Amino acid sequence: MKLYRKIILLAALLMASLSLALSGGSATAAGPESGKAIYVKRCAWCHGEDGAGDGPASEYLNPPPRDFTEVSYKYKSTPSEEMVPTDEDLLKVIRGRDFGNGEGHGAGWTASMPGFGDIVSDDDARKLIEYIKYISDITDEEVPASISLEGRIPSSEESIRTGKELFLAKDRCTECHGKLGRGDGRKRLKDDLGYRTWPRNLTKGFSFRGGNKPEDIYTRVTVGIPGTQMPSFADPASKRRLTEEERWHVANYVASLNKPYKKPGDFTAIHAIYLDGPLPGGPLDEGWSRAPYTSLHLFPQIIMETRLFTPSLDTLSVKAVYNEDALMILLEWDDRTLSDPDDKVSREIAGGAHYPDALAVEFPMANPSTGKSSTPPFFGEGDLEHQVNIWYWRGTEGVTEESGGGEVKLYNAAGITKRKERKPEMAGVTARGVYKDGTWRVVMKRPLRTDNPDTVIQFDATTTLPVAFALWDGSNLERGSKHVLTSWHKISFKQNSGYGRLIWPAVAGGFIIILELVWLRSGTDDRKTNDPLHKKP
Amino acid sequence: MKIPALLKFVLLVVIAYLVFKAPALLMGKPIPASLAGVYLFFTVVVILLVMTSTDKGVSELTGPIYRVSFEPGLRPIRNVIVVALPIIAVAITYFSIAGGEVSSVKLRTAHPAPPETFAAYGKRVKTEKLTNPYRALEESDPRVFERAVKDGGKVYFKNCFFCHGAKLDGAGHYARALKNPLPQPFKGQDTIAQLSEAYLFWRITTGGPGLPAESAPWDSSMPAWESILSEDEIWKVILFVYDYTGNRPRSWE
Repeated sequence: MKLYRKIILLAALLMASLSLALSGGSATAAGPESGKAIYVKRCAWCHGEDGAGDGPASEYLNPPPRDFTEVSYKYKSTPSEEMVPTDEDLLKVIRGRDFGNGEGHGAGWTASMPGFGDIVSDDDARKLIEYIKYISDITDEEVPASISLEGRIPSSEESIRTGKELFLAKDRCTECHGKLGRGDGRKRLKDDLGYRTWPRNLTKGFSFRGGNKPEDIYTRVTVGIPGTQMPSFADPASKRRLTEEERWHVANYVASLNKPYKKPGDFTAIHAIYLDGPLPGGPLDEGWSRAPYTSLHLFPQIIMETRLFTPSLDTLSVKAVYNEDALMILLEWDDRTLSDPDDKVSREIAGGAHYPDALAVEFPMANPSTGKSSTPPFFGEGDLEHQVNIWYWRGTEGVTEESGGGEVKLYNAAGITKRKERKPEMAGVTARGVYKDGTWRVVMKRPLRTDNPDTVIQFDATTTLPVAFALWDGSNLERGSKHVLTSWHKISFKQNSGYGRLIWPAVAGGFIIILELVWLRSGTDDRKTNDPLHKKP
Repeated sequence: MKIPALLKFVLLVVIAYLVFKAPALLMGKPIPASLAGVYLFFTVVVILLVMTSTDKGVSELTGPIYRVSFEPGLRPIRNVIVVALPIIAVAITYFSIAGGEVSSVKLRTAHPAPPETFAAYGKRVKTEKLTNPYRALEESDPRVFERAVKDGGKVYFKNCFFCHGAKLDGAGHYARALKNPLPQPFKGQDTIAQLSEAYLFWRITTGGPGLPAESAPWDSSMPAWESILSEDEIWKVILFVYDYTGNRPRSWE
């Protein structure tokens, strides 16, 4: 009888300890549960109720939200052979304000995930991290140490030069990121789950999702980006392996590729510069260096069906010049492929049939009564009461020549379904584009005034001119209503070179001098100096 | 030590300026520039009134200016001021122009008055009579209501969050391309908390094209959702934006 009771007791003890072990101990069991409520409210919409990256928004996002059950955390600081990130890595992404280029966004400025630091407290973020690790089933895994940044080599001309050699050697980085780092490599990329991904354009530092400081870049080069085709260059098995020192040189080189002008600003007007003489001869003409760039954000057309949710183009840089006769604009944007149907690389990237790249510039049509456009039309191809002029250009033939090519069309539209083609010659619109090393440069030109003010806008260099843009990336299968665009921006005409801008400073200076003369004169005025409140010295 | 009256005046104005600037610097919630200007104006007026209430006060305050103007011994200072002032004025004007023209933000009414009636889904509806068919369930059948809110969330995250944001703060990942106007935020007390569900239904179904002229419909990127979403989906997404932000709809009183 005694033995029987002992066995029962032992079994009960075993059961109890087993269940305790399975639940992972009472302390951690409370953690995941309290994080779950926050997860369901804030995260599940994209990452899914069960954390499988399959929330309602997931199919509209590229790259797709992380699947936490796969344990492939992209922006982690632990060595590439380790799956587990540090809690700090996860906290950084959730908060979103720790990256150099974060501006409130989680993984970089262009990612779909915002930083939640403003509405999720650090305490709650820690609970979330517990819950996410619980979904990934790594709660009990030991957290490895972050890679060391101690060996940092400060950036210098020599380091950048060495980095460049390593970048180009063995097609190490160029295969995906392209010769000049514009993301124009020759490889179609996909992530581990088969979703299409794009190599980073290294000249757009603001778009680096893991931060754009040399130490951030060093971490990416060393760790890789798990779940994507960005490998670790510290991997001993890799043919393209780099030593620690070499990785710092590459990081310094990549940081030096950043072109700040490509980062769009706020509400900035496009400044058309007056040229006393001929306008630039073509897209690559030196004459363009006199005009400043204005960079604009592009957003995919999600206003009407058929919508585009997976854009590949994010910014457009514009320059404008004019003289007594004509207005000329330069449109420059990085595009990863030429999108030539006969080009092998384009076909490979597009994954089959695709279309030429294209561009449209839109102006409100002249208001016949005033000759100016007082009420702008709807930015998406106008509306019934207000028409627009559209200059359309398509990169078909001759675009790899120095002088440029492509075909140009002219439309008038009063809404998307009310578009009428016109002869470009009737307005004198010409356009030529060149594709080189991952960048399109297209120039469009038109006389300031034309013979038919009823159907085309007359440019008046004393006012600002509303303008909107649209781009199609053919190898991303964009055509028709699937494209990226901007809403209305403005071209402001900088008056005849230097002198115009001196008028107002001269007026201000003159005004002050007049006031001073009055002041000095008062010193000689007896009535004033006999002021009873101030004894005359 | 007695602080000279003129210095005292300058210090008080600087302190007042900093006080009005403090909300922007410390909390990131600036007082609108025009309002701060009015506050500062009245503060300066009061300071002047107090400081010049006696003849002694006036002479103390204006004394230094008077002396710089007329005392022969202070001529060098006077000359420096005469030369420096126009130069400063020219420089300030030049650099404020050269800093680049910024396209002016047009004044537009974010929340125009709704029309008495409008057309949606093939019928003409009276804005005043319009109610959310799911709202009554909040009390009568909370579980069905909760499900409707969740369905609304799915509609939101398949259609709206690109611009209005995953945090409902008007800062979605495409919002930065839409600067003028920015997408409306729903969190906070100054947008949907001030509006009725019928108003939201009007704005969502007719979108940018349905805006009156004072709201610059030509700049709005908001689609007329009538062509993409069903009536039911719109009422549910309205439930969701109130539920997520903790706001309550205004009712017609």
